[in-house]
Amino acid sequence: MIHIKQFSYEPGDHESEKASNSYLMSLIAIIAGLPFPIINLLATLIFYVGNRKSTYFVRWHCTQALVSQVSMLFINSVAFWWTIGIIFGDETLTNNYFGYMITAFIFNFTEFIATIYTAIKARKGIHVEWWLYGPLTNLICKPR
Amino acid sequence: MMEKTLTQLLITVLLFFGALFALQQVNWVSLFKVQQITDKTEEKLGDLLWETFKASETENTNPILVKSIDSIVSKISEANDFDKEFFKVHLLNSDEVNAFALPNGHLVIYTGLISDAEHQDELVGVIGHEMAHIQMQHVMKKLVKEIGFSVLISITTGSAGGEIVKQAAKTLSSSAFDRSLEKEADIKAVDYLTNANVNPAPFADFLYRLSLADSQLPSIVSWISTHPDSKERAEYILEYSKDKSTDFKSILSEKTWESMKEKLTF
Ligand SMILES: [Zn+2]
Repeated sequence: MIHIKQFSYEPGDHESEKASNSYLMSLIAIIAGLPFPIINLLATLIFYVGNRKSTYFVRWHCTQALVSQVSMLFINSVAFWWTIGIIFGDETLTNNYFGYMITAFIFNFTEFIATIYTAIKARKGIHVEWWLYGPLTNLICKPR
Repeated sequence: MMEKTLTQLLITVLLFFGALFALQQVNWVSLFKVQQITDKTEEKLGDLLWETFKASETENTNPILVKSIDSIVSKISEANDFDKEFFKVHLLNSDEVNAFALPNGHLVIYTGLISDAEHQDELVGVIGHEMAHIQMQHVMKKLVKEIGFSVLISITTGSAGGEIVKQAAKTLSSSAFDRSLEKEADIKAVDYLTNANVNPAPFADFLYRLSLADSQLPSIVSWISTHPDSKERAEYILEYSKDKSTDFKSILSEKTWESMKEKLTF
């Protein structure tokens, strides 16, 4: 699921710290974003925009953090509105609901672990590319 | 690069829906004892709401009245395979023409309804209609929709104030269900009645008469305010019961029905 790869250049210590921070931001967003998934996206988006003019290594990791948040936004939005429907609307607790919530939890948890791991690696200047999000980031984020 | 991304995207999406499908096959509802918790909530709520009516109004315990209404509910239950013990029928003294269902099978009938019924099958029709609201889980659906699930929980745990309990009681006794739920209850009532060999036509007559009374005595006739469009309802009840059997027989003897009428207090 996760690959350590050779980045096109050796990132400096300052770059590593910034790249790592984008994952920490993402981590905080996952926790804070559990009740309100839009927070995930906003936090990472703000961080991404702030580092737009940064070096390639920093931009690359900000982008990977961002795209991972976007996919979680979809999964967690469904979970959020479904839950709201049960508490305030006339939806009821069904096997489908529980099945969805557990699936959403597994995906969130996997991302949570991957985010912690990548934050630690990035801090040491090690380049980590995730399954799906890595190739996707390579498509979006090009060196200047 | 593009191809690799698409392949991985496809696998991830398949993985997500595969996991979702597999996990939705598990019976979480019974695993987490959702039904037991829901039943407990409904039980507490029903008893609590009935207590509020009992405290503010006078219960009629006349044996002839209570026994006759019990036999109506029993007859409908037997003919439709319902658990008779689940229905807890209460008769209240009031000139209001009203009957309503509370959670956990509590069924409240006002003496005003009995006095307004010109034929016992009219009363049986209204009872059948309210039993349908109970059988089809309409009562809890309405409460959750109008009051909210979280507030209902707070009522049962005792953390909600008396005002909220009163509001919930008022919602059930004097506000309407959704049109679709009312229609479902009407149609079910016709089924219940015909299964018990009771003619559903007087129930339609009763609704039709209420629709006329609507403009004359709106204050006393509460059931009409909670059950609008009576004329239209009378029509589709008649339409639906058109090709049912015609070998009908009333539940109570004519003598019992007459003595019920004599014993009424308000
Ligand atoms: Zn009704």
